[in-house]
Amino acid sequence: MQATEEHLRALMIAGLNGDAAAHKALLRLLVPLLRGFYRRRLRGADDDVEDLVQDTLIAVHTRRASYDRGRAFTAWLYAVARYKMIDHFRRVGRLRPIDECDDLPDAADFEASSIARLDLDDLLQALPDKQARMIRATRIDGLSVAEAANAEGIGESDVKVSVHRGLKALMARVQGAIR
Amino acid sequence: MNTDELVRHLAADTRPVARNSIARRLVIGMAVGGIGSAILILIGLGFRPDLDAAMRGAFFWMKWGYTFSLAVTALVMTAQLARPDSGRPRGLWLVAIPVILLAGVGLLELARTPSSQWLSMWLGHSWKSCPWLVLSLSTPIFAGLLWSFRRLAPTRLRAAGAAAGLSAGAFAATVYCLHCPEVSAIFVLTWYSLGIVLATLLGMVVGPRLLRW
Repeated sequence: MQATEEHLRALMIAGLNGDAAAHKALLRLLVPLLRGFYRRRLRGADDDVEDLVQDTLIAVHTRRASYDRGRAFTAWLYAVARYKMIDHFRRVGRLRPIDECDDLPDAADFEASSIARLDLDDLLQALPDKQARMIRATRIDGLSVAEAANAEGIGESDVKVSVHRGLKALMARVQGAIR
Repeated sequence: MNTDELVRHLAADTRPVARNSIARRLVIGMAVGGIGSAILILIGLGFRPDLDAAMRGAFFWMKWGYTFSLAVTALVMTAQLARPDSGRPRGLWLVAIPVILLAGVGLLELARTPSSQWLSMWLGHSWKSCPWLVLSLSTPIFAGLLWSFRRLAPTRLRAAGAAAGLSAGAFAATVYCLHCPEVSAIFVLTWYSLGIVLATLLGMVVGPRLLRW
């Protein structure tokens, strides 16, 4: 069985209609997907990865009413996974001993990155919707091209082209503004 | 528990989910909370004695129209924010429509009333208590909406809390009409709205804490 958007979505919809076997198959397929997603982002903390995978599976199950059958399933899934990851970092961050905080970004860094993000939002708004979305997904949210393509339900080359065109247009805009 | 067991365990409890289950859950939460608020009014304040006669007049329906349309608009926004992949909520400007309409009625009212009576019309008999009562009555409704959120997945907790607070405040104001005998548009526009805004702010403050999942 393959974990493509179409397949996962069909299983999800069948599960929502009450098909327990489809729901089980879906959850099984999500396990390796989620492990990959968290492993790439947590670097090494395998216990945390497994905890997050289980947490996310529970959320996918109990909160599946929040999935809209008309939309991409993987976009929903990764939104849930990302929320769980942020929640995890927030919890861990609070408990982290103070002497390990040296490498945390300081306030000035934070301010600079916040301002950069505001600028970025402005710039992205000027782009066509799809290009902005693809740049956001691959360059800011940190999805891989494959994940972004899956989430959007389009091909990987389509994602790459959108990102490329979008970045080029942004370049032109920024340079125009400087001149 | 290992992950395989967990999957088996979860799949054993696969219940069908209706297509419109978000809307249904939110409406149930709001309605049950609203019944709670109505009971609070009945116990603590009493319905207005002339409710029957008032319901035949236009003004009562204007108050209901204002508060209820706000509640419905806010609930639609809440439903958007209940999805993890919702993005920026749309339709925020719709909230302005009932406010502008009521402000129009208020201006007409002012134009037809001698200016010496404006102040008493604006303050009514209950301006001091009205916003606080609306805020208090919104808590059972907010609690109802928290129940709705237990199966939903908001990721912008502050915005979702604010939208839920706005829904709760506006619907609390609708219920409060059963008690409140005030009859001027500028009264409603100011003091009802103030209560609703307070409920919204409260929702925004407690959202990140209470809506976490």
